[in-house]
Amino acid sequence: MLSRVAESLFWMSRYVERAENTARFLEVNFNLLLDLNDITEIDHPNYWSPLIRVTGDPANFTERYTEYNAHTVTDYLVFNRQNSNSINSSIGLARENARSIIDSISSEMWEQVNNLYHFLQSVTPQQVHNDPFSFYREIKNASHLFQGITDNIFSRTEEWDFIQIGKYLERADNTARLIDVKYHMLMPKEGQELDLVHDSFDTIQWMAVLKSCSALEAFRKVYLSKIDPENILWFLVLDRTFPRSIAFSVCAAQEALWRISGSSRHRYANNADRLIGKMEAELSYTSVEDMYRKGLHLYLEEIEVGLNRIGEQIHLLYFAYHTPKIEPHDIAEALPFTGLAGGRANWSQSQQQQQ
Amino acid sequence: MISLFERYDACPSRFFDEVLAPDGKPRGHYDKMVHRFGQFSLDDIRTRRQIVNIFFRNQGITFTVYGVEEGIERIFPFDLIPRIIPSHEWARIEKGLIQRITALNEFLADIYSTQKILKDRILPAELVLGSKHFRREFVGIKPPLGVYIHVTGSDIIRDAEGRYLVLEDNLRTPSGVSYMLQNRQALKRAFPVLFDRYKVRPIDNYPQELLRTLQEISPTSRPEPNVVLLTPGIYNSAYFEHSFLARQMGVELCEGRDLVVNNNKVYTRTTRGLQRVDVIYRRVDDDYLDPLVFRPDSKLGVAGLINAYRKGNVALANAIGTGVADDKVIYSFVPKIIRYYLGEEPILDNVDTWLASNPKDLKYILENLEKLVVKAANESGGYGMLVGPESTLEERERFAEKIVANPRNYIAQPTISLSRHPSFFNDCDLGGCHIDLRPYVLYGKSPTIVPGGLTRVALKRGSLVVNSSQGGGSKDTWVIDE
Repeated sequence: MLSRVAESLFWMSRYVERAENTARFLEVNFNLLLDLNDITEIDHPNYWSPLIRVTGDPANFTERYTEYNAHTVTDYLVFNRQNSNSINSSIGLARENARSIIDSISSEMWEQVNNLYHFLQSVTPQQVHNDPFSFYREIKNASHLFQGITDNIFSRTEEWDFIQIGKYLERADNTARLIDVKYHMLMPKEGQELDLVHDSFDTIQWMAVLKSCSALEAFRKVYLSKIDPENILWFLVLDRTFPRSIAFSVCAAQEALWRISGSSRHRYANNADRLIGKMEAELSYTSVEDMYRKGLHLYLEEIEVGLNRIGEQIHLLYFAYHTPKIEPHDIAEALPFTGLAGGRANWSQSQQQQQ
Repeated sequence: MISLFERYDACPSRFFDEVLAPDGKPRGHYDKMVHRFGQFSLDDIRTRRQIVNIFFRNQGITFTVYGVEEGIERIFPFDLIPRIIPSHEWARIEKGLIQRITALNEFLADIYSTQKILKDRILPAELVLGSKHFRREFVGIKPPLGVYIHVTGSDIIRDAEGRYLVLEDNLRTPSGVSYMLQNRQALKRAFPVLFDRYKVRPIDNYPQELLRTLQEISPTSRPEPNVVLLTPGIYNSAYFEHSFLARQMGVELCEGRDLVVNNNKVYTRTTRGLQRVDVIYRRVDDDYLDPLVFRPDSKLGVAGLINAYRKGNVALANAIGTGVADDKVIYSFVPKIIRYYLGEEPILDNVDTWLASNPKDLKYILENLEKLVVKAANESGGYGMLVGPESTLEERERFAEKIVANPRNYIAQPTISLSRHPSFFNDCDLGGCHIDLRPYVLYGKSPTIVPGGLTRVALKRGSLVVNSSQGGGSKDTWVIDE
């Protein structure tokens, strides 16, 4: 398969998943706010700035908006094309990537991405403000439909594997960030160690996090009604059966990488396989106590950095194929991969294609 | 005459109508078609048009209109009534085209080697060597099998007497063949019964024939030559066709950045490393092929490609520099070229052509602008032309200045009233529309033509321009055995 095609498949899948998760980020926040005692506080910056901190770049935000509130943050994360991670940007980029490989994907997949793009063009900020839940549900459903179509009609070839890698790396990264939102919510209490006293408000917040991962019901089946932070953390980070958990996603990405390279347990063929194997093993033997000991935020951040490094290796290995004469640093310059520099992995085929 | 055709006016005094003879009766080969359409009501037509539109939309058969933001994609307009060519007429077209393409290939082989035709003073050397598309750098480089023009699409028209004439030769990267194939699919869906009644020669083997042609010109001895299709990318107006042909042939669709040249060999960059390429069916113009040789600012090409080509490590279809032979000035010499290389009389005639570079012709052109069609020698797609009878005085004056400033760049032809064919306008009203015909000639070991071609139709009432970029549409084209 052409490297360019593999790369576009990877990013198409990644950007659809990212849009879905951005919708989930916003949804968890609305969920949390509805449980506030004092509804007038809904625009309090403390409830909105963490979203920007975990999804992107606060400096980029403050350049454009004077304050953090429901309107500005929603606008930035949903509509703003200047924010390369907004839902609008993500779907635009997913569509660009899909368009460039329209002959390699099924027409149903293309139509779904294209429909979602046109749906977004038709939505106004006022509509989102009036009924945020319908809007976010629409985005999530559209992403699920895309993945369902792919699941049901796309051949299990190398192409499929690159779609899976994109999806699961993005999902693992996003679930880590989603849990981080909760961590930042507790920031006002700073000065102490992360407060794990389980007051009722805290429980409600954790339930909101579960809901936004569509994990509440799955969680209840395992833990009945015992909602405490340790169990929830275990479930979202380490559970092997729930498809949005970090461990599940890393494992799924690893399997796809193995199918491509022929690696197996204990035998890795390349650096990407080595790094993801290391992360998978780490997740297998970690406990919630380990996370606390390290500090939850730091622990999640390390996962995010690790995932970025894996993405970078995949890029070098499969997408940026180079002739022997070219030095690695040439590639770094020639291909603006912003794996680590930008905080979140970003890459668009279209950046190279403008003529 | 029955129902739908009752109100149709063929204007036999002014135009050659493809379907109706001057006495108002259908021509023999159209008899069954007219009868069948006679049984349809307007609603039937609307239903079938709907079937066809859905087919085209689902296939993503669209083209991009330039100059509109975000590249507006439109469905290529398609007319439901097929154009029918009886086999005896087709036999002549086929013979004439093969003669013409063979001679033009001889001409290119000569121009890029000994230039005998110039030494024999059959053609003025300055017209050939001064052509914008003549590539001096490639004199002395012989492509595999000595073939330069592997895929061509000459435009053929019929005049008021119904004579077939060649209007221009497209020897660089002619497009539209995907519409020829898709039109057939669409019409089979809409009118299955009609196909039953005619013996329509199939065209579906075109992609296989194209692949065979491309494999035949492989310069290497590898048993399964690796053929790729090089496209300028998704922003090109013919991108749909590129991806369609690549899929139909089962070859990789590449952009310039998918290819690398190492040690004068061309490779694709794949997830499994580099893979050798033997033949490139390129839909990129000469100028953009290699930034090291042609335009340095082009990102569409592949650095080093031309050296690999010169070394004979990769074949390009079409070869570089073929544009010199479809220059509209050279066009006027094609009958001479045929006589010179083949010793035969041309089977298909040219349209009369005046060269602005010839002082006598120039005077005639300037005096008769309102009667002529003036074309820039190197433009295509209906750009840079003046249709005399449809122009204003101001337009003619502006054009006259351009001609005088650069006479080598202009030719003029009489305004031919192209033959007309009943077609449905947007509102399903039946009217006579001007048409032409573009058959596709493939040339590997020998030239072959898939029976038929793309019939383009000027669906705007009264318009003479059939190019898709200027609001033209197309028809399915049937060559039938009688």
